[in-house]
Amino acid sequence: MDKQFAIQFAGSFAAVALLVALAAWAKIAKPMSPLSEARARALFADEFPGRALDALWVTNDGRGALARSGASALVLCEVGDGYAARHIPWAQAVAASFRDGVLKLDLADVSAPRARLAFDSWPPAGAA
Amino acid sequence: MDPLKAQFDPVTLAIPFFVLTIILEIALTRFKAVKSHYETKDTMTSLGMGLGSNVAGVLTGGAAVAATVWVWQHRVFDIPMTAIWAWVAIFFLEDLTYYWFHRLSHERRFWWAAHVNHHSSQHYNLSTALRQTWTGGLAGTWALWLPLAFLGFPPAMLAIQKGISLVYQFWIHTEAIGRMPKWFEAVFNTPSHHRVHHARNPRYLDSNYAGILIIWDRLFGTFQPELDEETPRYGIVKNLSSFNILRVAFHEWAGIAKDLAGSRSLREAAGYLFGPPGWSPDGSRDTSATLKAQWAADQAKPNSPDVAA
Ligand SMILES: [Zn+2]
Ligand SMILES: [Zn+2]
Repeated sequence: MDKQFAIQFAGSFAAVALLVALAAWAKIAKPMSPLSEARARALFADEFPGRALDALWVTNDGRGALARSGASALVLCEVGDGYAARHIPWAQAVAASFRDGVLKLDLADVSAPRARLAFDSWPPAGAA
Repeated sequence: MDPLKAQFDPVTLAIPFFVLTIILEIALTRFKAVKSHYETKDTMTSLGMGLGSNVAGVLTGGAAVAATVWVWQHRVFDIPMTAIWAWVAIFFLEDLTYYWFHRLSHERRFWWAAHVNHHSSQHYNLSTALRQTWTGGLAGTWALWLPLAFLGFPPAMLAIQKGISLVYQFWIHTEAIGRMPKWFEAVFNTPSHHRVHHARNPRYLDSNYAGILIIWDRLFGTFQPELDEETPRYGIVKNLSSFNILRVAFHEWAGIAKDLAGSRSLREAAGYLFGPPGWSPDGSRDTSATLKAQWAADQAKPNSPDVAA
């Protein structure tokens, strides 16, 4: 890499730092509030069109949700000011590690490896 | 004019303009003059991808340049860089090539793996435009431009026109502009058309592959207008769960590697590599075709919640 490229890269790097700082200062992310049950339902409907939910649990902190849909567990997690969703077999969700009020799910996906959901208890009564 | 080396790089020249307009978009949003959203980590990731793609371009661009020069040395016609008709011709031909490059990059997983990171932000603002690939050089899509060099368009001319296209596509990554005048929307790629391209709503998937001119989508049947009743939701079908830049750059390649390691036949391996994104041997994963079909079936139901609402 030549000198001109190095100078241009350094300049771009500084510009990126400035823009990120400006974005942080502006506080213009999408407004986030803890999930309500209705909002979680709407998000699941967007993520998994046409799938009926048999049961739905919103996390204590309102930053995620888990739903049962037949043999699948649908998982929703907050990412920044948006969400990521995946589904895994229901049996796996029931058997997942639950400690200190946190359910840790292995989503088996490189682009979303794990989910951590805050619940009072797990599995839900009568869900197994 | 040197036919081998471009006198200037439109993208480098445009960097100050990129920076100033992002500042403007953030400031106007802050003072409620326009509508847009910037999330700090998302912005950092998008701009970091832009910065990294510059470096990746230097590291992997050599083969593409060498191949283009070699092909041009075996050209059919001598096309002068000084002729206006040559610039008009390359404007259309390069844009047509871009359309097919972009369509391939969405419809086949191997090339999607390089392009997906441009789409993995859940935001649509000017910083999203700079969220550029690191692995495009490795994916080899530059080969699609070789026929133009073979026709006789000098490598420098190709480089300049590709740069112009990239710079053009910067300003359309915004929610701050609603619709352009009708005649403009009819001919050119616009913020409205490209919002649809970045949307993950099933009915918007796999449409509007245009670079500068939207006419190619109209011609080849991939045009989808932005509808007032369907606000675009941005990102990919399965959004990422983190802003980790390495995950953003390489997740689909890692996914391919994992699938290939688990594939049981050559047919399966080929499907994982060159099938549509989301292809699986048993059809258990979603592709944009299955999502569109699911969505259409849902719409057709007489009392579907969407219709009732
Ligand atoms: Zn695209
Ligand atoms: Zn784009």
